[in-house]
Amino acid sequence: MKFILNFHDKIRHLFEKGGTFEAVGPIFDAADAFTFTPSEQAHQGAHVRDAIDIKRVMVTVIYALLPCFLFGVWNAGNQYNTAHAIADAGLVQDIIRGLIIVMPLIMVSYAVGGFWEVLFSCIRKHPINEGLLVSGFLFPMILPPTIPLWQAAVGISFGIVIGKEIFGGTGMNVVNPALLSRAFIFFAYAKSMTGNVWVASAGDVAVDAVTGATPLGVLSALPEGVTVADAIANGQVSFTQMLIGNLPGSIGETSAIACLLGAAVLLATGVASWRIMVACVVGLLSTAALAKGFGSSPMSQIPIHYHLVAGGFAFGAVFMATDPVSAAATTAGKWIYGFLIGMLVIVVRVLNVGFPEGVMLSILFMNLMAPLIDSFVVDHHLRRRRKRA
Amino acid sequence: MGTTGEDRSLLLPGESKKIPFLGEFSLQCRLRYGQIPRLAVLPEWAEKTDKRDWHVDFVVKKGFDIALAGKPSTSIVDAPVSETVAVCPLEFDGMKQRLKVSEGDIVRKGSELMEDKVHPAFKLRAPAGGKVVEVVRGDRRFVEQIVIAVDPASEPEVFQAFPAESIASLNRQVILDQLVATGALSLIRQRPFSGMADVAVTPKSIFVNAMNTGPFQADAETVVHDDPVGFQAGLDLLIPLTEGAVHLCMGENAGETLKAAQRVTLHHFRGPHPAGNSSVHIARVDPMAPTDVVWTVKAVDVVVLGRLFLDGAFPESRIISLGGSNVKPGANQHYRVRMGGDLKPLLEGALCDGEHRVVSGDVLSGAAIPLDSHLRLRQSALTVVAADCERHFMGWTMPGLLQMSFSRLFVSSWLPWKRDWKLGTNLHGEERALVLTGHYDKVMPLDIMVDFLIRAVMAGDSDEAISHGILETDPEDFALCDFVCPSKVEVQAIIRQGLEQIAEEGI
Repeated sequence: MKFILNFHDKIRHLFEKGGTFEAVGPIFDAADAFTFTPSEQAHQGAHVRDAIDIKRVMVTVIYALLPCFLFGVWNAGNQYNTAHAIADAGLVQDIIRGLIIVMPLIMVSYAVGGFWEVLFSCIRKHPINEGLLVSGFLFPMILPPTIPLWQAAVGISFGIVIGKEIFGGTGMNVVNPALLSRAFIFFAYAKSMTGNVWVASAGDVAVDAVTGATPLGVLSALPEGVTVADAIANGQVSFTQMLIGNLPGSIGETSAIACLLGAAVLLATGVASWRIMVACVVGLLSTAALAKGFGSSPMSQIPIHYHLVAGGFAFGAVFMATDPVSAAATTAGKWIYGFLIGMLVIVVRVLNVGFPEGVMLSILFMNLMAPLIDSFVVDHHLRRRRKRA
Repeated sequence: MGTTGEDRSLLLPGESKKIPFLGEFSLQCRLRYGQIPRLAVLPEWAEKTDKRDWHVDFVVKKGFDIALAGKPSTSIVDAPVSETVAVCPLEFDGMKQRLKVSEGDIVRKGSELMEDKVHPAFKLRAPAGGKVVEVVRGDRRFVEQIVIAVDPASEPEVFQAFPAESIASLNRQVILDQLVATGALSLIRQRPFSGMADVAVTPKSIFVNAMNTGPFQADAETVVHDDPVGFQAGLDLLIPLTEGAVHLCMGENAGETLKAAQRVTLHHFRGPHPAGNSSVHIARVDPMAPTDVVWTVKAVDVVVLGRLFLDGAFPESRIISLGGSNVKPGANQHYRVRMGGDLKPLLEGALCDGEHRVVSGDVLSGAAIPLDSHLRLRQSALTVVAADCERHFMGWTMPGLLQMSFSRLFVSSWLPWKRDWKLGTNLHGEERALVLTGHYDKVMPLDIMVDFLIRAVMAGDSDEAISHGILETDPEDFALCDFVCPSKVEVQAIIRQGLEQIAEEGI
């Protein structure tokens, strides 16, 4: 690998101050740092340093996302093949079809998001941040497989520029950029995000409307006289199926098991906060129990453990709520933040007839509230300190 | 603030009480009226499994001991004789320099070399007699080193000497005058601002640190055992300086000499680094309010202070530790060196091949010094590690068997066996925005929210920083934050900058 290093050293001067390609210096720096760790030494403070850096943290999140990605690819292909009644479609065909659906989305997400990241880095003369590695991968995972590529491009542009770069880039953002991108599409191009969009179609083939609905969509639109219990009893909605995830839905979020695998990676490596994940689950279950006890709407009658595997909750709690930049930073704040996310998910699901799913909005809302929660926790801490003195 | 004074104390720190079935309780801070006691509980079963004949007063949980290669052994050998000595005025931070000698002057041991323009009573004195051969100047013509060629025949300048028994009953002013006039005051540090002690203030208490958990600090027991009389004399002269107690804080492996110290309060701490930092001791034993002043001294420096009063002159030599991964195995031990002596004879033949970084002090919070300079007077440790700028192919995704990390992101962190790491100066990344929050708290045993403290400092909000407790700390307390930070934020530098800003503005 020495020759790459030598090559970089040979052309480095072109990208440094005064060089021919000075304007795009950050691109060279990013490529250079991608192949080899930087050569910087500790010049002040501690003279020896931990091997960890942000790049490795971000890449670990990508690895944690792989189960969701792989399952999502297979599932998108499988749903397509089933809907189009391609009878002899096997595993390989499902995966190929899935890749045809998913890969363009990922490429658009990285290419467009990367464009903005590089543009801002070059103008602001700061190194290209690693945050995009995760945002660019998370975003396609929470899109329906039918989303037009141009909408994905507009969405990620909004998320990266308005959600992150105008605040100063990775580490400075208030809300999760990937989630904000999705929220933008959700409100700007509502037709692409609601209704019969969860199974990719070739356009000319009519897709059966029932197979194209997500479990939460089914439950929220039950015909008159059919209760939630009936729907569960006749197999329209099944816990096991939601756990495994071979269902219509956003690409990466359908399988709770894949999300659990991701959670295992994030928790074992200590990248994500276990407090937030646990608090989300506790908030969800306790509010769902309350709703089941006192609620009267049909959605409140869903068995509470169904909420854990339904919709995007598992994915949101594992990958979105735990984003360290937009989540609460204090230990107590993390508990409150997570609990309220879980609670709001149920509030939206059960009380709001318009939206069968509320994970995205709950997390975004709590992202906005996180600084407030932290401020309360810090104030409490400071009051305690003053008392001690 | 609660009411101070012995008369209102219900129990003294360190006192313990046995309660049947519950175990032994000991007081963590002085108990006052209206104050909730904080108790250390040591269950009876723990005591049974514990072979020691004394118990630990304070257990520090948060922190991290970096397993570094090159730990100095406790043997003491005489270092090769150094033919030059030097004083490096920059280590006496905040001193406004007025040079009193020039190149070619003949000085005696103890002669004045430089004085402080602001406090002219404070002087830097020659650690050995001879001829001033060089005055090295650096940026803005600050004097970096005053080098003296040692003349063994030179007669030392003598200050007042005191008999050992009388030191404890000396007048406070007499002690302070001698400390100021000899420059030895710089061995006593003051909180807040972690600068040199201010003689105009009487400190609430004095903390003597005999437990350096920072990697490769000189071992207190080893140094003190070499001169127990000097150590006790040093402790005695501290007693009149404070209105409160002199606290001697030591680790669980403290030896008999330390435990035999008289007329001071002993505290035993257990835990990973930074359990040995004075800030942790202060916070646990006798917490500070923002207006309090506390002095701290290292136990190894107490010996120097004691000798100064017993002999009426600075000792010619002191004991320092030499450690680090670039020191040849066998050479990592304690050395008796000339005060301010040349590094060359000490390090010649003791280092491995390659590029070195020489650190005066411990590798986490010390200062880098050139290989051709001299020992610093205030530091009792010398660490040499590899200057490492090696680049690793695809470091962000390689398994990381040979990478050392506090996190669990590398395979090495998962291996069941432990090893000593030869860490160099590689930063292993580039500076980024703060992304992982709460990361620092895992290595911060003080009741401080590091993320919010450094944000307050970065925003220039001194009031906020003070209420977050910056005045109780020293930059060294944040050394592990520097170490573990994935964004490579220089936390120590930020805290130092914050302290300087507050000192400038005044509280």
